Amino acid sequence: MEALWEGLREAIRLIATGDAQLRDIALRTVLVSGCATLVAMALGVPLGYWLARTRFPGRPIILALVNTGMGVPPVVVGLVVWLMLTRSGPLGGLDLIYTQRAMVIAQILISLPLVAGFTVAAVQALPPELPELLQTLGAGRIRSLWLLSKEAQLGLLAAVMAGFGAVISEVGASMAVGGNLKDHTRVLTTAIVTETSRGENGNAMALGIILLALAFAVNLVLTFAQQRSRHS
Amino acid sequence: MNIVFEGVRIARGGRPVLAVPDLTIAGERTTVVAGPNGAGKSSLLRVVAALDRPAAGRVMVGGEVAVRGPHIRDAVAYAFQRAVFLAGSVRENLELGPRLRGVEEAERRRRAGEVAEACGIAHLLQRDARRLSGGEAQRANLARALCLRAPVTLLDEPLSGLDGPGRAGMLAELPGLLRQFGTTVVVVTHDMREAAALAEDLVVVADGTVRAAGPLAAVLAAPPDAETAALLGYAVLRTETEAVAAWPGVLTPGTGAATFTMVVDRAVAMPGGVEVTGRIGGVPVSVRLEAGMPPPRTGSKLAVTAPPGTLVRFPIGNGGRLEQGRAESIAVPESR
Repeated sequence: MEALWEGLREAIRLIATGDAQLRDIALRTVLVSGCATLVAMALGVPLGYWLARTRFPGRPIILALVNTGMGVPPVVVGLVVWLMLTRSGPLGGLDLIYTQRAMVIAQILISLPLVAGFTVAAVQALPPELPELLQTLGAGRIRSLWLLSKEAQLGLLAAVMAGFGAVISEVGASMAVGGNLKDHTRVLTTAIVTETSRGENGNAMALGIILLALAFAVNLVLTFAQQRSRHS
Repeated sequence: MNIVFEGVRIARGGRPVLAVPDLTIAGERTTVVAGPNGAGKSSLLRVVAALDRPAAGRVMVGGEVAVRGPHIRDAVAYAFQRAVFLAGSVRENLELGPRLRGVEEAERRRRAGEVAEACGIAHLLQRDARRLSGGEAQRANLARALCLRAPVTLLDEPLSGLDGPGRAGMLAELPGLLRQFGTTVVVVTHDMREAAALAEDLVVVADGTVRAAGPLAAVLAAPPDAETAALLGYAVLRTETEAVAAWPGVLTPGTGAATFTMVVDRAVAMPGGVEVTGRIGGVPVSVRLEAGMPPPRTGSKLAVTAPPGTLVRFPIGNGGRLEQGRAESIAVPESR
């Protein structure tokens, strides 16, 4: 309990004093996880929509893969990406290992199944007649997609929350492909691991509280947006 | 705006659903496409709206082939069987179609108000469209299609999901609404009473083919075969050599040139008479006895007749096709 209070005091002190290192780690965390979530949304929403609306042989297998991907441990994703990007790996020539871009790639792979899976559920919950209704009302393809997205926004915002929540809180993949390099690839989760291993429990708690506050802030905004759409 | 089917074959999931080799739905009239469930009625509407492509042949709407594009978008309004709405008020849903078609805001509001008033949902315009009752939703569904003021309006089972009084009320109002807002209207229904109440022209589909098409009175008066007569609501009674079709209501208690024996299932005293339902040769029929007459017992036999010239007969030896007009008299063995 003492460590918790100490961590809270330390977190307030670090934030109040505008600790540069903390600020950099927090910004890096938002940047890496934000980019990964955005790309996962850009890929996962159309993929989810396609899976929800299209019937083709092998669709159940792809859906099962997506559903499995929603529960894959991040450290396993990190291991696979590390094997691909490491110097001797098939993509080693890209020189991405231990970079923020490698972390973004790993986090996209973690987030993508979640975004796609939530999108499938959100789109399948819509009345099946809606796309054709919009077509007969006069909407073109792009307009239809936009209107359908608005109809499914409750579920799509849940997809964003699930995707962002998964990547901002993961540590295994970031550690494996980012290397936790100070001032370069260290993010809040890997910094917590480092501080804990050093016995700096107060610092670790402070970082943890900041991570939670960050995740809470993002989810608070998204939840407001989600609930507003529900009541509008 | 005419709708012309040329050598059309419609399939769903690779399975043939309906063949329409040659059919013209006349413009500026209300045509009802009627037939049993699964006959392909909705599939016929879907190819007109270019939601599906025919497996063969083509559908022409106003002289142009029905394919997804600006022509069909502007020419066709479609009310689906299930009333589905987007999030928002009834007004927003009514105005969505005109908005997507580029209609000015003032005109959109005017149209929505006018159609809502005519459809009896003006008081619901600010309500959440997804919280309407079944009857309100069907009215709003119809209003949304009429709000488009399209040259062709397609209505798929517009009375489905309504209870008895709601159905009767809307059925009474529909012809007036369609005259007011529709131009070329195609209505799909499985209910022949609805078809008779709405149609100027009638198309009967069954077993994947168009069985009859033409002005309502002509189709009803001269069904091409016994099966179509049954679909239209005739009681079709068969003998070894022919089928005799009696329009509902023409059978009356008594004997005459054509006399049948009805086995009574149920008799209910109603205001103005006794409603008797039963079977002739296994075919369900009903007659009305005069008020004050004792209701026949269940299982008893009742002689019924039809006035001369009211029965249609089909010699079975010729595939059940209509060979003669109306029979003067007919004797149907009791055992049949």
